[in-house]
Amino acid sequence: MHSIYARVNNVSATLSSTVMALLAAIALSSFIFTAQPTGSLDIASVKVFAGEARRYPHRRQEYAFVNFNITADLSPLFHWNTKQLFVYLEAEYTNAKGVRNQVIFWDRIVRRQEDAVIAVSGKNKYPFREISAKFKGSTPANYTLKYNLMPFVGVLTHGEAVRVTDPIDFPLARERVE
Amino acid sequence: MTSLQKYLEGKIDFEGQKLVERISHYAVMELAIFAFFLGFLFQSIQMTFMVFGVGVGIVLAIIIPPWPMFNQHPVTWLPSKGTKEKQQ
Repeated sequence: MHSIYARVNNVSATLSSTVMALLAAIALSSFIFTAQPTGSLDIASVKVFAGEARRYPHRRQEYAFVNFNITADLSPLFHWNTKQLFVYLEAEYTNAKGVRNQVIFWDRIVRRQEDAVIAVSGKNKYPFREISAKFKGSTPANYTLKYNLMPFVGVLTHGEAVRVTDPIDFPLARERVE
Repeated sequence: MTSLQKYLEGKIDFEGQKLVERISHYAVMELAIFAFFLGFLFQSIQMTFMVFGVGVGIVLAIIIPPWPMFNQHPVTWLPSKGTKEKQQ
């Protein structure tokens, strides 16, 4: 502590420990906030069409098209340690081979509390394909609106905002749009 | 040359060192606690780090330079007794 260098060394050592403790306290404080978002999710229609598979010119591949309506209020999830929310729609089903699949076909990133009230009626953003090429024999799919809460400091937390009450069956594949 | 070295070294006396150590520990820790609760109260992590950053800047400005208040107890040496030859 006698010279400038000794003082800089000492205070920076204190600072690093203190900043670590401060960050740990902030990370722990986010466990206090356990708000549950509310909302409703309605799957308007599910259609399956057969098409050409990408990259394989002559292989047939089925595509599902989902139309949905979401109204959800995710603003309770915003507290001082919320950086952003990753909100996504997921279909969960078991295919004919007995493999459990979870497919995300729509998502949105919410950065501000003002944008946290979601009212969307839309269709899937990403291609919804079955890895075995056919939806035939799959169990009915459960549709859920889920979120990942990304904090500034601390652990990423997952949650489920809304779940469709009854699983919805995949219809038979159609060759063309009527 | 020696004056430049003295300026860069910024020596303070023993009492000053004790005071600086106390300021650096307690001020930084209390600042962190204060900033945490302020940010929690206003639900703003930006506020926490702004308050903490500004506070740390003030603490550094107080601690780092060899202010005169850290040099108020200079070490007083005993007078020299002279060499052995002179005593005999």
